[in-house]
Amino acid sequence: MADAITLKTEARSGKGGRDATRVRKAGRIPAIVYGHKVAPDAVTVSKDELLLALRQHARTLQLVVGGKNETVLIQSIQHNHLGSEVLHIDFRRVSADERVRTTVEIELRGHAPGTNSGGVLDQPLHKIHVECPALAIPTAIRVKIDALQIDQAIHVRELELPPGVKALEDPDLVVVQVKPAAILAEPTVAEGVAEPEVITKKKEKPAEEE
Amino acid sequence: MPQMPKRVKFRKTQRGRIRGNACRGNTVSFGEYGLQSLDRGWLSAEALEAGRVTVAQFMRGEGRLYIRVFPHKSVTSIPAETRMGKGKGEPEFWACVIKPGMILFEVGGMPETAAKDCLARVAYKMPFKCRFVKRQTT
Repeated sequence: MADAITLKTEARSGKGGRDATRVRKAGRIPAIVYGHKVAPDAVTVSKDELLLALRQHARTLQLVVGGKNETVLIQSIQHNHLGSEVLHIDFRRVSADERVRTTVEIELRGHAPGTNSGGVLDQPLHKIHVECPALAIPTAIRVKIDALQIDQAIHVRELELPPGVKALEDPDLVVVQVKPAAILAEPTVAEGVAEPEVITKKKEKPAEEE
Repeated sequence: MPQMPKRVKFRKTQRGRIRGNACRGNTVSFGEYGLQSLDRGWLSAEALEAGRVTVAQFMRGEGRLYIRVFPHKSVTSIPAETRMGKGKGEPEFWACVIKPGMILFEVGGMPETAAKDCLARVAYKMPFKCRFVKRQTT
């Protein structure tokens, strides 16, 4: 877990998309702070400071809102359509003794020997839902795959979770597995069919007999 | 063989306009690396198939490929030297409607350098600008 980073906020006066664009042009990011049955605060944070915190995988931050220090959890981050810019960020107020539900990345460590003998590493689960203390959210859950042979899998129940962290996923869910290499299945298209079936096609009327 | 829907409600669709950016299907969800479109347009089923074959030949079974788009739209055309009128043309090909930001292909189970090389070959076959993207953390 990274140490709590402190961000200074400024109260946001305007509302709406145009104001948000103005805020972003000034090098700041619109944000909202909510939770603990307190009225939400619309604020802005420095883009550079926020991106630095995100690069350090910070999950909880210390926010200075109106001269008051608050511990917040990064609840959600909105990106632009290309995923290259942060547009808006939601902060949720948390207390030190609170347990929160969040997602944590799964990080694979090592090299699966099964991939040397013709297997393909398949990771169906990249993030896991966990419940843990707000101030002890792990950066990632590391999974050792050094002993993974072909047709072997690591399930959620086999994960080594840090103390105080409880997985909320189905214990039988596969996290990572080594499958036998197969030639990529060609998408199924019926041979000789030039056109799809039309489900609203009108039935031809039978010829009237005289 | 290029993909097309199995069943459709109508054989012919209006051309439409491609407005706005991708709000969905714009993050790497299944694999580890992806090819993201930076432009808008129609991606024909033939071009999609060409991309799939390129990845299959590069991987040789040593990785996973996910195709994130499907050609749902039929594009019609009328034969050359045809007089005006006489109704809409016949379906010529099937296409995916692509908006900027959409992830077209995803790969997994291979190192980053190999994935970059693989998807660069696919990008070469795409009718618009694309870029290589990684799965977003946090």
